[in-house]
Amino acid sequence: MNMTDILKVEHLCKSFGGIMATQDVSYSMKSGEFSAIVGPNGAGKTTFFHLISGYHRADSGSVWYKEKNITKWPPHKIARLGVTRCFQVSNNYPMLTTYENVRQAVLTQKKRTLNLFTPAKNLAVEETLNILDMVGISDNANTMAGNLSQGDKKILEIAMALGSKPELLYLDEPTAGMSSDETYKTMELIKRLNEQMGVTILFTEHDMPVVFGYAHRLTVLHQGAIIADGIPEEVRSDKMVQKVYLGEEE
Amino acid sequence: MQWSHNMRFFQSYAMKKQLWIIVVIIIAAILPTIIGAFWINVAVEILIMGLFAVSFNMIFGYMGQLSFGHAAFYGVGAYTVGLLMAKLSIPFSLSLIAAMLSAGAFALIIGYFCIRLTGIYFAILTLSFGQLIYYIVFEWYSFTGGDNGLQGIAAPHLLSSVTAYYYFTLVIVIAALIVMWYISRSPFGYTMRAIRDNANRTRFLGINVKRYMLINFVIAGAFAGLAGGLWGPFNQSISPDLLNWTESGIPVFMTVIGGSASFLGPMVGSIIYTFLNAFVTGFTQYWPLIIGIVIMLIILFSPGGIQGLIDKWYKHSDSSDENIEL
Amino acid sequence: METGGRNSGSKSEREEITGESMDFSLIFSQFLSGLSRGAMLFLIASGLSLIFGVMNILNFAHAALWLVGAYLAYTFWNLLQPYGFSLWVSIPLAAVALSAIGWAIERVLIRRIYNRTLSEQLVFTFAMILVIDNLIKIIWGVQDKAIVRPSIVASPVFIFGAPLDSYFIFVIFTGAVVAIGLWWFLSKTKYGHIIKAAVFSREMVSALGIPVPKIYTWVFVLGIFLAGLAGGVQAPIGSITLGMDNAVIIQAFIVVVIGGFGSLLGTLVGSIIVGEIYAFSILFWPDGAMILIFVVAAIMLIIRPWGLFGTPMRT
Repeated sequence: MNMTDILKVEHLCKSFGGIMATQDVSYSMKSGEFSAIVGPNGAGKTTFFHLISGYHRADSGSVWYKEKNITKWPPHKIARLGVTRCFQVSNNYPMLTTYENVRQAVLTQKKRTLNLFTPAKNLAVEETLNILDMVGISDNANTMAGNLSQGDKKILEIAMALGSKPELLYLDEPTAGMSSDETYKTMELIKRLNEQMGVTILFTEHDMPVVFGYAHRLTVLHQGAIIADGIPEEVRSDKMVQKVYLGEEE
Repeated sequence: MQWSHNMRFFQSYAMKKQLWIIVVIIIAAILPTIIGAFWINVAVEILIMGLFAVSFNMIFGYMGQLSFGHAAFYGVGAYTVGLLMAKLSIPFSLSLIAAMLSAGAFALIIGYFCIRLTGIYFAILTLSFGQLIYYIVFEWYSFTGGDNGLQGIAAPHLLSSVTAYYYFTLVIVIAALIVMWYISRSPFGYTMRAIRDNANRTRFLGINVKRYMLINFVIAGAFAGLAGGLWGPFNQSISPDLLNWTESGIPVFMTVIGGSASFLGPMVGSIIYTFLNAFVTGFTQYWPLIIGIVIMLIILFSPGGIQGLIDKWYKHSDSSDENIEL
Repeated sequence: METGGRNSGSKSEREEITGESMDFSLIFSQFLSGLSRGAMLFLIASGLSLIFGVMNILNFAHAALWLVGAYLAYTFWNLLQPYGFSLWVSIPLAAVALSAIGWAIERVLIRRIYNRTLSEQLVFTFAMILVIDNLIKIIWGVQDKAIVRPSIVASPVFIFGAPLDSYFIFVIFTGAVVAIGLWWFLSKTKYGHIIKAAVFSREMVSALGIPVPKIYTWVFVLGIFLAGLAGGVQAPIGSITLGMDNAVIIQAFIVVVIGGFGSLLGTLVGSIIVGEIYAFSILFWPDGAMILIFVVAAIMLIIRPWGLFGTPMRT
């Protein structure tokens, strides 16, 4: 295995009730990459994320993170390695405030959650406020997450991911449901994470201009299998891809 | 938290609550000089059942799971104290510690299985384990006295007057509440709220959700055991009924009355429930009818309990700086 | 059915058994007594399971209503005593009367908690137990009520040399008729199909233009009718006592847990399993019947929380 691979997936397969959701997928990422996975609905993008983040267990094949075989690891152990995941449908703590949501991620990352006696409000104040500031939802710090607007919920997703100080970040449709203005801001933020903080990023996206505007590398999934993989321009001109996917969209 | 635009508002709200608590503690301290022996007994019961209910709410309010077997730990605590004091003449104070430990140990074993389930399955599995222990205690005559229970559990001489026992209970219960209050505000407490709101997300942050739930279950069980341990010498006898599912319903009711979204809600519930019980039972035999209707009305018209009503009165905004307030 | 625990009449049963050798007839008679116990549990749990399956409400007060059914049967029997067939008339009368009560409860109370959390629903129906049990006490008093059985079911019968309370044959018969009737209703009639569809997906049923609230009302009434029938059938077994429902509701839960929520076949199998465990543990470990039942329930919940015939979807 190549030393610089941060993620390596080999011959991954998963089926649900006889339907192959992931078919012999092999994929690897180098540290610092900013890559996208695209494909029509039901192509298996989310399943792929589920498999590499430990939510589902693969039928066969293996997943490696920095030379550790994490194929059968549960989500919380994978998360502790520095692999963080953002969800497609915003997935926060609706009855906690925005501030508390992010603080939970920060405290978990700092391994302080077994602390039984220090008031949580005295801990990780600065880090949490910095993150809120960075993503621009400080104004809503005291709002219950369940009452945030859809766009702010997605931004909170990213803020929580930041709290986990990821080395590798999976983003499942980070801009779904956002206005074009919000989309731009969010993608610029993700780009900053990648460029300034060196976070390796793998995201899925429906919005093709976003994909081509940001991703350095593009992988196309179709019916659970990879049909194309390369720099965006290359993939765009791939005949097969145009036929199964891009052709439908444009 | 300077960035809070509602800061001053909440400070005054929190201040008011703290003021209230100080007032209540002062009243509690001088209470025995005002009221007669009957009502002091009621006050002891309020404290013990309130501790039981607050410990239940660690599972219900903070972890988001409804346990219908919490009386098992309460009963185990009561029987630990009863057996140690009656059969081995172990001092009360040591027996109380043992009650917490044994109830915690039971909670560890039972919780190991229960935390694998959620929702209705959690409710029924806790209920089943509770009934399992109930029937074991009920049938094991040689050890537990079976359905006769244990009689003659006497508090030490120093605590033999009801007033002395009241003060002793008051100190223990306040100490236990402070410990649980700290836990509820700690990172661990917030992790429980996180698990309640979204267990899966918490897992993906890197938390071993089951382990945290189990720790919380054990803490809650241990404090229920402490409450049970206080009950035996107060009542001077214990019976298997302390473990029955109908007993498990009492902290549930108290929590519903007081409100599960606040730390002291179940204690407020205990005050209302126990006081009403003592009062109503004085002149009618229709206590279950009255409390049943009260609970139903609260669920229909004020799901947040009394505390929910008070909160609604105070705050008209959706934001807060602490999710579960005092 | 004896209710186990404190209300258990098993002591005398035990004395009867000890000393005898464990021959075939003894085992067979235990089997039949387990079967009648299972039939009674089925009558109670089938309504519980039906209501849960369709409405997603676990009705804690189901056994309390069952007990009301038993008291109603007693009252009807008492009024009809001068005439013939009083017992056989009062059992269906109790079921019908309890259905009317069930209808009112659904319209006035249960309807208001459909959209509430699971906890609120559980606590609400739990509180209903307190009210119902207390109302029973107010209406019928604290004294036990006993029905004098007609001579046809007054003395034991012998089947293959095994003694059996002849009334138990009627209990088993009723259980079988209800099981077959429910199966026929659910799988062969239009309304049954609608109910089964509602178990599967409420949205689908409502999309078909069928008024869901109406279905809920009638499913609840049907469930309570079964509870009333069960109460009526229970009435002449031993005597009717206050608080008898406390142990029964938990056993009915256990039946539903073992069989699987929302599955009629599961409820039937679960009832027989619990009934037989109870009957046979009295032979081998008289004090342990209830303990054994809860051990089985706990194991089932741990390894297969959705039960033998349930589906793991609902939580």
